[in-house]
Amino acid sequence: MDTRETLLTIINTILAKKGREQLVKLDENISLRKHLDFDSLDLAELTVKLEDATGIDIFADGIVDTIGQIIAKLDEGKGNG
Amino acid sequence: MDKLFLVDEKRKLFKTYQELFNDLSQYARLTKIINEKTPYEIFLAIVRSIISGETFELLDPDLSQAEIQRLGVQEQLCQKYIELKDVQIRDEKSLFDHIEKGCRTWRLGLYTSGTTGRPKVVFHSYDSLSRNLRMGDKHRNDVWAFCYNPTHIAGIQVFLQAFVNLNTIVYVFDVDHTEVPNLLEKYRVTHISATPTFYRSILVTMTKPIETVKRVTFGGEKFDPTILASIQRCFPRAKIINTYASTEAGTVLVSNGELFEVEDRLKNLIRVAEDGELLIHKSLIGQSVELKLEGDWYHTGDLVETTSDGKLRFIGRKSEMINVGGYKVNPNEVEEEIKKVEGVIDAHVYARKNVVTGNIVVADVVKADFADEKALEIEIHRQLESRLQRWKIPRILNFVSEIKVTRTGKKVRQ
Repeated sequence: MDTRETLLTIINTILAKKGREQLVKLDENISLRKHLDFDSLDLAELTVKLEDATGIDIFADGIVDTIGQIIAKLDEGKGNG
Repeated sequence: MDKLFLVDEKRKLFKTYQELFNDLSQYARLTKIINEKTPYEIFLAIVRSIISGETFELLDPDLSQAEIQRLGVQEQLCQKYIELKDVQIRDEKSLFDHIEKGCRTWRLGLYTSGTTGRPKVVFHSYDSLSRNLRMGDKHRNDVWAFCYNPTHIAGIQVFLQAFVNLNTIVYVFDVDHTEVPNLLEKYRVTHISATPTFYRSILVTMTKPIETVKRVTFGGEKFDPTILASIQRCFPRAKIINTYASTEAGTVLVSNGELFEVEDRLKNLIRVAEDGELLIHKSLIGQSVELKLEGDWYHTGDLVETTSDGKLRFIGRKSEMINVGGYKVNPNEVEEEIKKVEGVIDAHVYARKNVVTGNIVVADVVKADFADEKALEIEIHRQLESRLQRWKIPRILNFVSEIKVTRTGKKVRQ
């Protein structure tokens, strides 16, 4: 699976557990905290699941908030790997 | 005595008490550090060590050289032999005469499993190991299923309980779990003592109740009330006993369920610290230079709750607590809730590190064949949401075929 698809699947799994509407596509401007109402537990789940799927820890060096920032981290991580 | 001393079907070894007496009467020497490989060799060495009245240390049979080094065992002691005095054991009486003499000065050093911090050796006297032994004609015909590691404290206590009553020991600790019910039946076992994890693994394959079992003892791990009903169904005539023991103190508390009443003689020797940790007075503890005491009290690392009528309930290990963003999660509590969901056979809850919350809670789940993974995951999550605070709910759930256990039969905490 492409990393963007993986990211979308993981975000949607978390949204489903929160009882919130699913995302149809990844919009780079969406803020996880502000728009999707992610709290620290949701973010922790996201980072661990993404790390398992891609080997990249998106929070390793700083705060990430928008989907665009996550995609940048994933692309960067892939480039380095 | 033609009575069987040990049944070890896995190694096809059967020894009568007469054969044990004969072996004890042979010339022998023991190393200071006992590192025997088979159950019979281990039991024989333990009895020889008691008769000698000397101090020995006991190692697990399956330790590698590297592990032995990490335990801090002095290598020269592994090669240092003690020549044992010749003894002639003709019968029961001469056996117990020798035991009686040797047990006054005998010391046995046991290594704690060392899941946290540095492993340490704790020396026990016969008195501290035999504190809860029951003897007499009533116990003459007991038959014990042996379900613990024979070199750990629970195993040694079961061994002594069976041995001082000249009971038959049926060794099932390392046999395939599906075979255990057959062995219990074949040898008409009357007494079992094991960890909740061990019971869970045999209950799955038990198809019919076993009537011969009179007593089922829980030890080694926190009591698991969720399997009580199945235990009662599988062993309908058994009295159920729960024990609290540690390598440092041996058996301290005994009860018939989840709650422990502190006997009067222990009232001044056991107390609960402000943070809920159980403290045991040093007079109940084996000797060890490495054991940390605060004043006269040994900190067990076990957390208890005191009920309104003064009984104690164990809620977990201090070091097991998972810290999720500053909130403490007791993995035992979460495991119990998961196991209540239909279709779940066993669960293991542990921490996974991350930079957002420090840790999050992860659960490995063993499901029943009939359950569908996807549906069960949703159902577990749905039920936990109504029963647990949010941070206690596992964020990651893995379905696995079995839960890893340590050599003592406890779940592996990561």
